[in-house]
Amino acid sequence: MLEISELYQRFGDRVAVDKLSLAVNGGEIVGLVGRNGAGKTTTMRAVMGIYEPIAGSIRWSGHAVGLPDRLRFGYMPEERGLYPQMRVLDQIAYFAQLHGVERPSATTQAQRWITKLGLDGRQLDRVVALSHGNQQRVQLAVALVYQPDLLVLDEPFAGLDPSAVDSLSDVLRAETKRGTAVLFSSHQLDLVERLCDRIVILDQGRVLASGTLDELRARVPQRLRVKVATSTDWVANLKGVVVLTKDPEGVVLAVTTGMDTQAVLRLAMEAGHVEFFGFESGGLVELYRQLVVD
Amino acid sequence: MNRVTTIRLIAGREITERLRGRATWILTGITTVVAVLLIVGPAVLRQPARTSVVGLVGPSAQALAPALEATAKAAGVDLTTMDVADDATAQSELTPKQPSGRGLRQSGGLFSSATATLDAALKLDTGSATIEFYQTISPSMAAVLRAVVQQAHQRDVLTQAGVSASAVAAAQQPEPIHTVTLQPAPSDLAGRSIAALAAGILLYVSVGIFGNAVASGVAQEKTSRTAEVLLGAVTPSELMTGKVIGIGLVGFGQMAITIGAALITNAVVQSSFVPSAVWVLLPAILLWFVLGYTLYAFGFAAAGAMVARQEEVQSVSAPFSVFLVGGFLLTYALIASPNAPWVKIVSYLPPLMPVMMPARLALGHVAVWEMPLAILIMLASIYWVARLAGRIYATSLVRGGARLSWRAALRSR
Repeated sequence: MLEISELYQRFGDRVAVDKLSLAVNGGEIVGLVGRNGAGKTTTMRAVMGIYEPIAGSIRWSGHAVGLPDRLRFGYMPEERGLYPQMRVLDQIAYFAQLHGVERPSATTQAQRWITKLGLDGRQLDRVVALSHGNQQRVQLAVALVYQPDLLVLDEPFAGLDPSAVDSLSDVLRAETKRGTAVLFSSHQLDLVERLCDRIVILDQGRVLASGTLDELRARVPQRLRVKVATSTDWVANLKGVVVLTKDPEGVVLAVTTGMDTQAVLRLAMEAGHVEFFGFESGGLVELYRQLVVD
Repeated sequence: MNRVTTIRLIAGREITERLRGRATWILTGITTVVAVLLIVGPAVLRQPARTSVVGLVGPSAQALAPALEATAKAAGVDLTTMDVADDATAQSELTPKQPSGRGLRQSGGLFSSATATLDAALKLDTGSATIEFYQTISPSMAAVLRAVVQQAHQRDVLTQAGVSASAVAAAQQPEPIHTVTLQPAPSDLAGRSIAALAAGILLYVSVGIFGNAVASGVAQEKTSRTAEVLLGAVTPSELMTGKVIGIGLVGFGQMAITIGAALITNAVVQSSFVPSAVWVLLPAILLWFVLGYTLYAFGFAAAGAMVARQEEVQSVSAPFSVFLVGGFLLTYALIASPNAPWVKIVSYLPPLMPVMMPARLALGHVAVWEMPLAILIMLASIYWVARLAGRIYATSLVRGGARLSWRAALRSR
């Protein structure tokens, strides 16, 4: 289990991470979301020991993370981190060896991941000769080849086509079944929603919200969208109801405890022909917009 | 995994990848061919030594032949005489002609020019003597001819004055003169100067090339973010040391091939231009390459870690290049005044030592105690540079943003 507690990191005058705490259990995928500069990459780099945090602690299995632990962590940086002129097979095997895998086994494991990630036939190609998507696969193979206990993946899905996204998602799920803890960041909220067991929303280095998708959804007030064909002025007659937006697609009302939705429907029908009446789900996108953008 | 295994892995990757690259082999080929040509070239191009021929025109000049040959022998001038019937023949034989119908060897080498039969001609008239030559005459030959003519004139005057022939001969017998050399010049001084310059060039170029390779390699790892992935498994000092050792071993191998080829070529050709101390000098160049490269490579590694973009490598590592060029340029001053005190002092400055010490060694101006002292100074310098560079490297390698200045890098913790 990875535990980040009260992590604080500053670069010059800019605070990158401000007393951030989160945990990732074995066999669990935790997604970090937030706008650019929210502190996702800094948090991941601190986990990988690239930065020494100014304050706070990072623990693995109950003790402070050290180099021997990091040998069991797999890392995929936001921008690719591969030797461009090195051959695919050699590169993957080299990183396996650096993480303590013996040479013959490193080559065998590298070949296994090449096959698993659909890179067969490209073993002897230099990385620079591969497409962006295939380079991404090599980067993933580099992170997975030594069977890590924790995967730290910074924007692993960026720039991938849908089939590559599916294949990478399958790989991550398979790894969690093996017991691997996965911490990854992404701007693709639909993907995070679909893949993650828990989600942490960051802004300006702080945790705005965290929990399972259901827990987060519960934090978003339900919304009621009503579209009356002729008018939006009818809402003026509603008492004790918060109008969130008005647009050509109707009005959106905040659903509060004790709100009489049937009374709302009646008023709408009296105003004209009701084209749409329904609750909108409080998805991650909505929550994100509500917490971060608004 | 222990530290040694990690460094070995990193160094091994550097060696494998560089040996796979074409550039390494092209560079090795070029340096080896140049070294071989530097030894073979002078042997092929040199003109064979030739005895100078002086034409004696007319009987009175021809009578001086024994005296002329004896005087030339005493003066150490390789000279012979040839009787020439008249002045026209002498002038014809003094004029160079293109060789024809002879082999290249006989005609004086692959690139021989037109040659003449006579190098000078001597003609005696009543009361005067004439020395003829085509364009130039060697000062030693001119001196011999003048001395012999002067002797003949003195003999004639003294004989006419009634002095006996034996007395004239005794008077003209030269007084033995002994010469004492306080500091004998090495018999192969010219070869040693060339060797000093060649050693300077070789070390300046090779340390520069492989030092820059370290800086470029580090900059590539930083700008491609490979360093971030690597630092999950290795420490910055392991990464830096492995890279320096790996690239250094490739450089050492390349130098060993070049120097080995030079030694073999010299053994085959036995060029008189190569100083006899070559068997000491060439291994010394290898030793100074190792010391010089190690000193500079750590500095270049720190420079490579400071850049924000690959294109900035040259400008950040410029201070090291300046020291290397400075050391090479000072080699000229060293050759001109090898015993000047300031030259000796400057050659002990660690950044200049890798180029200047082997050059001093080539010139034969390094005392026995100096070499161990110089090596000790270098080892101490390497230790301190490696420590300082390691600090800069560790803090700069994962630092984003604009390029760091040296001052900022040294202050950063």
